[in-house]
Amino acid sequence: MRASRLGVTARMIGVLVILGIAVFPIYWMLTTALTSDADLFAETPRLLPDLTRLHVFAEALTEGPTLIWLANSAIIAVGTTVLSIALGIPLAYALSRFSFRGKIAVGLLLLMTQMLPEALMVVPLFSLYRRFDLLDSLPGLILANTAFVLPIVALVLKGAIDGIPRELEEAARVDGTRPLGVLLRINIPLIAPSIAAAAVIAFFHAWNEYVFAVTFIFDKALQPASVGLAGFIGEQGTSTQTIMAVAFMFTLPAVAFYLFAQKYVVAGMTAGAVKG
Amino acid sequence: MSADAAITARRRGRRKSPLGSRWTPYLFLLPAAAYIVLFQAIPLVQEAYLSFTRTNLLNPTRSTWIGLDNYVDIFTSSDFQQTLLTTLVYVLVCVIGAVGSGLVVALLLNSDFPGRGVARALVTVPWAAPGIATALIATWMLNAQYGIITQALRAIGIDVGASGILDNPQLALVAILATTIWQLFPFVAVVLLSALQSVPAELVEAAEMDGANRRWVFRVVTWQVIKPTVGLIALLMTIWSLRRFELIWLMTRGGPLGTTRTLVIDLYSQAFDSKQIGAAAAIGMVGILIALIVVVGSRFVQSAAERSTP
Repeated sequence: MRASRLGVTARMIGVLVILGIAVFPIYWMLTTALTSDADLFAETPRLLPDLTRLHVFAEALTEGPTLIWLANSAIIAVGTTVLSIALGIPLAYALSRFSFRGKIAVGLLLLMTQMLPEALMVVPLFSLYRRFDLLDSLPGLILANTAFVLPIVALVLKGAIDGIPRELEEAARVDGTRPLGVLLRINIPLIAPSIAAAAVIAFFHAWNEYVFAVTFIFDKALQPASVGLAGFIGEQGTSTQTIMAVAFMFTLPAVAFYLFAQKYVVAGMTAGAVKG
Repeated sequence: MSADAAITARRRGRRKSPLGSRWTPYLFLLPAAAYIVLFQAIPLVQEAYLSFTRTNLLNPTRSTWIGLDNYVDIFTSSDFQQTLLTTLVYVLVCVIGAVGSGLVVALLLNSDFPGRGVARALVTVPWAAPGIATALIATWMLNAQYGIITQALRAIGIDVGASGILDNPQLALVAILATTIWQLFPFVAVVLLSALQSVPAELVEAAEMDGANRRWVFRVVTWQVIKPTVGLIALLMTIWSLRRFELIWLMTRGGPLGTTRTLVIDLYSQAFDSKQIGAAAAIGMVGILIALIVVVGSRFVQSAAERSTP
């Protein structure tokens, strides 16, 4: 009895230590944003946020280009989400419901896209974009991001369609509905939760994306927040508190939504590696 | 779909039945496939071609075919050997560190305790945080004067030098590895946690009732169930670590003295700092080859393991 209670205590301590390690850097981001200059550069660090300094967040948002950055990020993210869902649903449906020649090739293509580093594709895409005048344009970033997130979106959706009993579709087909009608009227309403999860994945993939954005965008007015934030590293003009406040506002939505979509993200990513 | 069903589908297709013609799957497939070909396959082929040329980023139309020269150049340069070694160390430590710590966390979270749901949610925070934000906060925590990690190390008597951890050739890679593992372990833990939940609880209880010690139960029961998932996760971690860019680029740009320069960092700085996209492409091809070897090799190991277990 005693031994097992001791075991439970040890386990609880272990869990608390791990949670501390997991959450501390984000907590520190918030705390740093809410620390006065005097405390920030003191010998002993201030470990608690100074809640009287919440105005730092409002200032970080309104002074400087933060709002424009966040708006650009949101445009890129929404565009990527819409495009990858629109392309992903028919792809997922084909992979789930039909057997056809070249299915293995499509699977391999999807697996390969997971192996390609963005930093590699950035070079040929750069030449392609220059030729088609897609440098310095948000649609250009949407197109590049979609190529990378489409496989995961398709695999998440395929998993969801796999789970719908075929009898439902067959009944509709016997009634004379065409395949596209079946997809639109039967499948899509049934997989709505997975579509929402795939949308979260696509949105934050684009929200977080950095390599394409930093390489393809030269106009400061078109920079997304990822590039703007990265520009703070090694730069002296902006206060640490402002940087951390912007970083925290950039992080918060991603963390909140990922917690919601976590189950599907995990399933989609591992499925991609298994079935490819 | 079974072969029979496929044949029926095709036959029905000829009769123009409601199932649609045999072209139907291709119609559904076409938009996405065309898209992937245009934005991934064609650029990849172009990249492969570039690797046999000398091409400047700023003047890409004037490229010269130089055969294997780029490959000869990189494999005879000691810098590239350092890059390969750094990549190997980075990937190995990331995979072992992330899978090891993720497994420990999964085992800890796979039991009943008050607040378990909250703990499981909170532990995923590092993985959900954007890489840019992670790089920013890590850089700040490692700041040479005011970083809390630097201060904590100083408080316990460890001096990392005036220039700080990220500028220290002995410590920069360690810091990058620690940050990467921090970012990855939640993903491993969440995936392994769901695998652990398929371990039959009665089996574990029965074994423990019989007086078997915990370690033995883990090895004989639990490990056997989660082994395939661990293998899969290790493969994913390898591929992700081979292509990880922004964290390293933002924290050190491959420095100091090239000690954190992995293949992807080398490739990007060849292309966009030195403007040599031919040489960069050759480095990229080496990277893809390594990834292919890992994937194909893991399939072999997997099928060999399946054959050896009855």
